[in-house]
Amino acid sequence: MDRSKGIRTLGKRFFASIDKIPRAPPDRILGLTEKFNEDRNKKKVNLTVGIYKDAWGQVTTFPSVAKAQRLIDADLVLNTDLSYLPITGCPDYSEHVLNFLFKESCPLSGPKLLKEGRVSFTQTLSGTGALAVASKLLALWVSQTVWLPQPSWSNHRNIFRSNGFTNVKEYPYYKDGRITVEEWLDHLRSAVDKNSKTRDCILLHACCHNPTGLDPTKEQWKQILDTIHELGMIPIIDMAYQGLESGNPPKDAYLLRLCLDESLYKSWPHGLFVCQSFAKNMGLYGERVGSLSVVTPPFQPETKDNVDSQLKQIVRSIYSSPPGYGSRVATMVLSKSFLKMQWYKDVEFMVSRLSQVRKEMHELLEWPSLIDFDRQHGMFYYTGLNPKQINALRNDYSVYMTMDGRISLSGINDCNIEYVCKALKSVTKTI
Amino acid sequence: MSQTVLNNIPQLPADALFGIKQRSSRDARDFKVDLGIGAYRDENGRPWVLPSVRSAEKAIHEDPLYNHEYLAINGLPELSIGAAKILFGEESHALKEGRIISVQSISGTGALHIVSKFVAKFLAGRAVYLSEPTWANHKAIFKTQNVKTEAYPYWKSSTKTLDMDGFLGAIKSAPNGSIFLLHACAHNPTGLDPSKEQWPTILDTLASKEHIVIFDSAYQGFASGSLDNDAFAVRLGLEKLAKSCPIFVCQSFAKNFGMYGERVGCFHLVLPQQDANVDISKINRAISSQLSTIIRSEVSNSPAYGAKIVAKILNSPDLTKQWHKDMITMSSRITSMRHALRDKLVELGTPGNWDHIVSQCGMFSYTGLTASMVERLETQHAVYLVSSGRASIAGLNKGNLEHVAKSIDEVVRYCSKDAKF
Ligand SMILES: Cc1ncc(COP(=O)(O)O)c(C=O)c1O
Ligand SMILES: Cc1ncc(COP(=O)(O)O)c(C=O)c1O
Repeated sequence: MDRSKGIRTLGKRFFASIDKIPRAPPDRILGLTEKFNEDRNKKKVNLTVGIYKDAWGQVTTFPSVAKAQRLIDADLVLNTDLSYLPITGCPDYSEHVLNFLFKESCPLSGPKLLKEGRVSFTQTLSGTGALAVASKLLALWVSQTVWLPQPSWSNHRNIFRSNGFTNVKEYPYYKDGRITVEEWLDHLRSAVDKNSKTRDCILLHACCHNPTGLDPTKEQWKQILDTIHELGMIPIIDMAYQGLESGNPPKDAYLLRLCLDESLYKSWPHGLFVCQSFAKNMGLYGERVGSLSVVTPPFQPETKDNVDSQLKQIVRSIYSSPPGYGSRVATMVLSKSFLKMQWYKDVEFMVSRLSQVRKEMHELLEWPSLIDFDRQHGMFYYTGLNPKQINALRNDYSVYMTMDGRISLSGINDCNIEYVCKALKSVTKTI
Repeated sequence: MSQTVLNNIPQLPADALFGIKQRSSRDARDFKVDLGIGAYRDENGRPWVLPSVRSAEKAIHEDPLYNHEYLAINGLPELSIGAAKILFGEESHALKEGRIISVQSISGTGALHIVSKFVAKFLAGRAVYLSEPTWANHKAIFKTQNVKTEAYPYWKSSTKTLDMDGFLGAIKSAPNGSIFLLHACAHNPTGLDPSKEQWPTILDTLASKEHIVIFDSAYQGFASGSLDNDAFAVRLGLEKLAKSCPIFVCQSFAKNFGMYGERVGCFHLVLPQQDANVDISKINRAISSQLSTIIRSEVSNSPAYGAKIVAKILNSPDLTKQWHKDMITMSSRITSMRHALRDKLVELGTPGNWDHIVSQCGMFSYTGLTASMVERLETQHAVYLVSSGRASIAGLNKGNLEHVAKSIDEVVRYCSKDAKF
């Protein structure tokens, strides 16, 4: 028998299965960044990624974070131990983030939850990691149906699909420059059966909706939560931009406060999931710092223990334990009051620059929605440009935005604002 | 109706290693020894930050361009390119022929998890064969993706040597195109690796069956102090399997950089050699895009800090040199502790043969102590190890060696006395 020949033909067969793998579509946002990096136009402007840049177009470290780093660097204990963190994260980090989220951000209802031991907490790889771990847990035990706003952050669908959700549905969120709360709730009422044996999850952007930058008003949120609660849905709160609306992080947790208001909603009997990120509000993007809090119903201590144990198993099989450095920085910022005050100042400064950009763009473009500060929040602005105009902007002016017409205001500064506005004006006039 | 869906979630047992840590930290006795941990400790029993890591950290903080911006989905290229070079060697044919796709991962576990997702998606139906015994998490990593696992014989407890016949038998009887996970070096938990004479036979047998191989490389340089030495099996594997099938390689930098908690690692997919008419770059791009989608759905992008440190060390000749020294510091201390423990047990006349402690390598020794001996070590002597009898040699030092040896001596004598009845 010619063994080597046997190997060759067999080899092709097995190899063929890998050969057949199709190309997955590139990530919509980060794919554009790659294109941008290859663009040789000196005037190119990248308005795609949700990263804060200062008035000189630089990604800088927040002063509070820089100070925390120096303290860590000089600390003999923090500095001599790069051991594994526990599976669900560093205990100090847990303590301080729980305090931040449930005491400072929700002073009326949160402390009681903590005292009753109802919050199952996991340090996660930023907001994405929180959503991924939450969706794994839910898909395994609770529900494989989730409702996302249309439109939403492009990765949401990928996260839920890839982590066990078989049914990813959409609720209408935006149309022609406004939020469609009526349609949204009508749609849910007609599509979700509250008597069904299975529960549906619903993803809510806590503030600074991505990509539209448009959030419901406080009154609308009340109406929305009433409906969700009545339909027995499981809220997943995606809080990736806490502080970027008002400049004050605790203040921006209004959706969480509303959910936890026991005079309105006695409990969320199927759990409430809070996915939180320090990527944007602490500028720790690449360090992957965030958390998942699962608020369990009252009078069932065993439920919390069970959730804890399942989360551990999930994390252990995906990545064992979370990265340390970023969480040491966040813990330092949260635990020292002078750093925390500095951090709040940093957030306020960032938000005031973004407002300034909106105002200056409004002066040049006279688009009223730019300065509709009641509804328009955060780093993103939805231009309403169509794909043709967006392509023209990229091809003719090297101004990059995502295909849905979203721009990241932080990419705009004194040096490029006139160029960008001129380009916007010209493509909206001619195409 | 008011019954809540969350009530149906069952509680799982705690992680065994975590349990040890918990019990030992609660133990009020003055003199305790933790041989459970899978992390290096210095001669004072303390965690050790490598001098090369410390210098790299300083350099990074001083760099005016340092910031916390997101890395690309597939990670830091300076890391993954450098990582491929140290693992496969600068002269690797596969590297030169562009047959390796490398992405950053959340340490070794994250790389293994990528493999399990990839197998579930594109190689469904094939079982993954794991050594018996193996690292406790291997099974869970595949099980949670519904990938079937099987065991292949590895450790012959009667002789404390490799069960070569059983191993080869399992390779031959597995259906063609099965998946075999191999520990690249410093097998966890046994510390026992195939010899340089045994590896070619193992790899040839795998190739003849067209099996797909996963190399789990978690201890390169940590085991022997030499990167090249510890990459022997991986490099030979790439040559031997070059014509038959793809290879998955999971690379962790937890141990060899002493940065356990920063979660730095890489995943490499090595394609087999292709006919001239196949466009390899097209396949590369397709696979790379699929890996991106997996990574994007779980972490978006990998953590930056640790990756920058490793990349800095791999790309600065001075730091690289220092790092090589640091690995020798760790591996030689562990080797000397192995000898000291064996010698002490021989001196005490402890029943049994203890040479395996010296012939094994890496962080761990599979001591051959039984579960009841391990239990007695903990209750009577405050010496903690995993019930399988795996001891972390890194937890030994001059200050506790004598205590550990005498304790082992006592429990072995005590339990073998019992066994006579
Ligand atoms: C709505 C939304 N959720 C979650 C995230 C997660 O980001 P990260 O994983 O970096 O915290 C983002 C980031 O862009 C986002 O826009
Ligand atoms: C055999 C083996 N593989 C992989 C790992 C992964 O470790 P990490 O995820 O910390 O890189 C370990 C760690 O103990 C191991 O022993």
